[in-house]
Amino acid sequence: MFFKMFLRSFFIQAGWNYERFQNLGFAFCLQPALKKIYPDREKMKAAMLRHLAIFNTQPYMASFVIGNIAGFEAQVAASPDPEARLKSMPGVKQALASSFASIGDRIFWGRLKPMTTQICLLVWAAGGFYGWLFPGVETPVATALLLAGPLAGIVFYSAFALHWRWHGLKTGYACGGSSSCGLDCMDWSRLIRVLSTSGFLMSVAIVLVSFGLLAALNYSPLVSRGEFYLKLALPLCVLALHRLTRHFGKSVFFAAGLILAASVAGVSLLNLRSFGL
Amino acid sequence: MIAIFKAVLSSALAGLLGLDAVQAGQFLFSRPAFVGPVLGWLNGCPLDGARLGILLELLYIDFIPVGGVVPPNGTAAAAVGVLAHSAGGLPPSLSFFLGLAAGTAFSSIEYRLRASRSPWNGEIEEQVKAGNFSLRPWLAKSLLVENAVMGAYVLCWAALAACLACLPGISALYPGTDFAFTLMPWLGLSGLYFRFRTQIYKKG
Repeated sequence: MFFKMFLRSFFIQAGWNYERFQNLGFAFCLQPALKKIYPDREKMKAAMLRHLAIFNTQPYMASFVIGNIAGFEAQVAASPDPEARLKSMPGVKQALASSFASIGDRIFWGRLKPMTTQICLLVWAAGGFYGWLFPGVETPVATALLLAGPLAGIVFYSAFALHWRWHGLKTGYACGGSSSCGLDCMDWSRLIRVLSTSGFLMSVAIVLVSFGLLAALNYSPLVSRGEFYLKLALPLCVLALHRLTRHFGKSVFFAAGLILAASVAGVSLLNLRSFGL
Repeated sequence: MIAIFKAVLSSALAGLLGLDAVQAGQFLFSRPAFVGPVLGWLNGCPLDGARLGILLELLYIDFIPVGGVVPPNGTAAAAVGVLAHSAGGLPPSLSFFLGLAAGTAFSSIEYRLRASRSPWNGEIEEQVKAGNFSLRPWLAKSLLVENAVMGAYVLCWAALAACLACLPGISALYPGTDFAFTLMPWLGLSGLYFRFRTQIYKKG
């Protein structure tokens, strides 16, 4: 039953819709447990209709709610007064969904996902590939290395995702019916702080190494002092532009659009001299 | 002929990988950093694919899909970027910006696809009331439609790129787009820096 629910949890967002969000996926994940708990078709029908109601949370952390509600349903089925037990179910489901959405968004979307990009860049750097930083420069590189970078990030991320999907299901089932179930199974704030600090340190390291590479590649007697400083100043201007656009609530695409418009106007239309970094 | 076959195959693969973004799995196989080199390798330009992919990935770090928000689609962006270069014949710089536009434009299609599934709820409830508890056909239908739409979308943009490449005078833009492209890694790195710097200042 657990393994079936675990496999089905990968499709929790398959029927995502604006009316009831992840309700289809949630009912689909819960089905193996409901089939076992309610052999009676009428009771199964009522349970299915209950779980086709609105539901939305972070997809990986949804396992905590799925496990909890499966455990809750088992308790309801065994209860002498199921109607009374069922009254608190929507509240528990909603409370857990909101809490785990907040935790999951911060861990997975806010920290781990950007960290996969950092891991990709670090793997490429370890393999001696910096070509992504200098788009005009042709560098020979093995395709295996190009694929190893993103795959390393995927493996790192999936280890967390798979662990919480499985562990969430088990933990949730064990304390089914409780509205604080799983929330105290670990120090989430500490995990979030650790990920933030690690991510920030890796970001600083990647930015510093990139600037170091830019300086090293351009520090040559063939490059005039003025051009050298210009090449170092341009990336800093890009950083400042991005900071400014963020300050005014504009996305990074706005900054990219500004850079494109200025470059096309300056280089293509006004024929200003172009150069590679 | 081979180029067209590769473009169709790549679009189909993009549609399949695109499912990983929301619909199935969510292992991050749909991220531009992975889609770029894979499609690049399939089309004989792994290095350009990897560059386009990672640069798009760095810019897409800015967007978080919380609370049902539909962010720009990274799979569509990377697939269109790679195909615009390999099949469309545009330089990597212009392909990159075309990919960026394609990824952004896909959000409105994704919104419509999600909205189109809302009426299913009533039908599914009726089906369950009638004693049929199978939800698989509905989820399979959802996956198939998403897959087909993404594949067709990428192919259309690749065709648009090929038409753009034939426009007289388009090559005059290339020096400008090339220069803008050389600055994109730095814009992406600043995105990476600010993503975590904000979190450190918020203290978790």
